[in-house]
Amino acid sequence: MKTFLSIAFLFVSIGFVACSNNNSSQESSATNSETTPEAANTDNADAQKSAGTINDVVSHYLSLKNALTNDNASEAASAAKEIGESLAKVDESSLAPDQKKMYADIKDDIKEHAEHIGANGSDIEHQREHFDLLSKDMIDLVNVTGSSLTLYKDFCPMYNNKKGASWLSETKEIKNPYYGKGMSKCGIVKEEIKAKG
Amino acid sequence: MNWAKKILLSLLMVLILIQFIQPARNKSSELSSTDIKKTFSIPENVQLVLQISCYDCHSNNTNYPWYSKIQPFGWLLAKHIKNGKAELNFNEFSSYSLRRQISKLTGIGNSVKDGTMPLTSYILIHKNARLSNEDKALLIGWAMSTKDSLSAN
Repeated sequence: MKTFLSIAFLFVSIGFVACSNNNSSQESSATNSETTPEAANTDNADAQKSAGTINDVVSHYLSLKNALTNDNASEAASAAKEIGESLAKVDESSLAPDQKKMYADIKDDIKEHAEHIGANGSDIEHQREHFDLLSKDMIDLVNVTGSSLTLYKDFCPMYNNKKGASWLSETKEIKNPYYGKGMSKCGIVKEEIKAKG
Repeated sequence: MNWAKKILLSLLMVLILIQFIQPARNKSSELSSTDIKKTFSIPENVQLVLQISCYDCHSNNTNYPWYSKIQPFGWLLAKHIKNGKAELNFNEFSSYSLRRQISKLTGIGNSVKDGTMPLTSYILIHKNARLSNEDKALLIGWAMSTKDSLSAN
C-alpha cells in the first residue's frame, strides 16, 4: 500500500510540474500569437469596407516612436499592436503593381517586428532593437508609397555600436527614440520627405 | 476504497492513457533545398555551435531526448519546436526574402547578445547547449558579418 501511494504521489507531482510548465508555455505562445485573432477580426472589418491605408500604419508607427522617446515601454507595446492591426486593414488594391510586390515583401517584416515590440512591453531595449529594423522597413515603405504627412528621416550615429540607426519623425526637432530621455537630442535630420497629394 | 485512492488511481489512469498520444516528430533526413548552407558558406565552428545550441528548435531535425517519448513532456517539446521553427528555420533560410534574411540575422545577433536565446529552460536541461562567451562572440560575429554582406548588396 505504501509503495502504491508513493508511486501515485510521484506521478501526480510529475503531472503538476508538467501542467505548470505547459501553462507557462501556453502563456508565452499566447503573447507571441496575440495578433492572430486580432488580424482575423480586422479581416472581417476589411470585408465590411473599412479599408485602411498605409498612412494609418505610419501614424501608429509615429505613436510607437513617441512612446520610445518617452521611455514608455507599455505604450510602445500597445502602439505596436495597433501597427499590426492597421497593417491587416490596408487596402492593397490602391497600390500600383510595382508597389504591391515591394509591399508584400515589407509587410511580413513589419508585422513580425510589431509583434515582437508588442509582446515585450517590459523590455524597452528589446523593443528598440526591433524598432531599428522596423524603421528601416517604414523608411523603404514611405519612399515608395509616399506619405500624407511631411516626415523627417532622422539618424542617430551612436546606436548599434556606433553603426547608427534611422527613424522617421513628424517633427523637425530631434527626439531620439533609441536612447529616450537620456540622450534625447542625439541625432540629425538626414532627409525631409514631403507630404504628397 | 476511499476517495483519495480513487482520485490518485484515476490520475494514474490519465497519465497512462496520455502516453498513447504521441506528437509527430520533427525529423528529416535530407538536406532541404532552401537550407542556409545553400546560399551562405558557414564556417565549420559556427555550424557546430548552431547544430548543438540552435537546431533542436530552429531546423527540421530535432535531436530528441529520451523523455520526449513521455507525455506531457513530448507535447511541450513539440510546441516549443513549432514556435521556434515559425520564428526561424535554418533549413528554410534561403526561402526568406532578402529583407527577412537581414532581419533574422540581426535578430540572431541580438538575442544571443541579450541572452534571450537559447532559452533558459532549454539550457537548464541541455547543458552542452549553453553558449560560452567565445561561442557567443563567434555567433554574433558571424551573424553580423553575414548581415553586412547582405546589406551591402
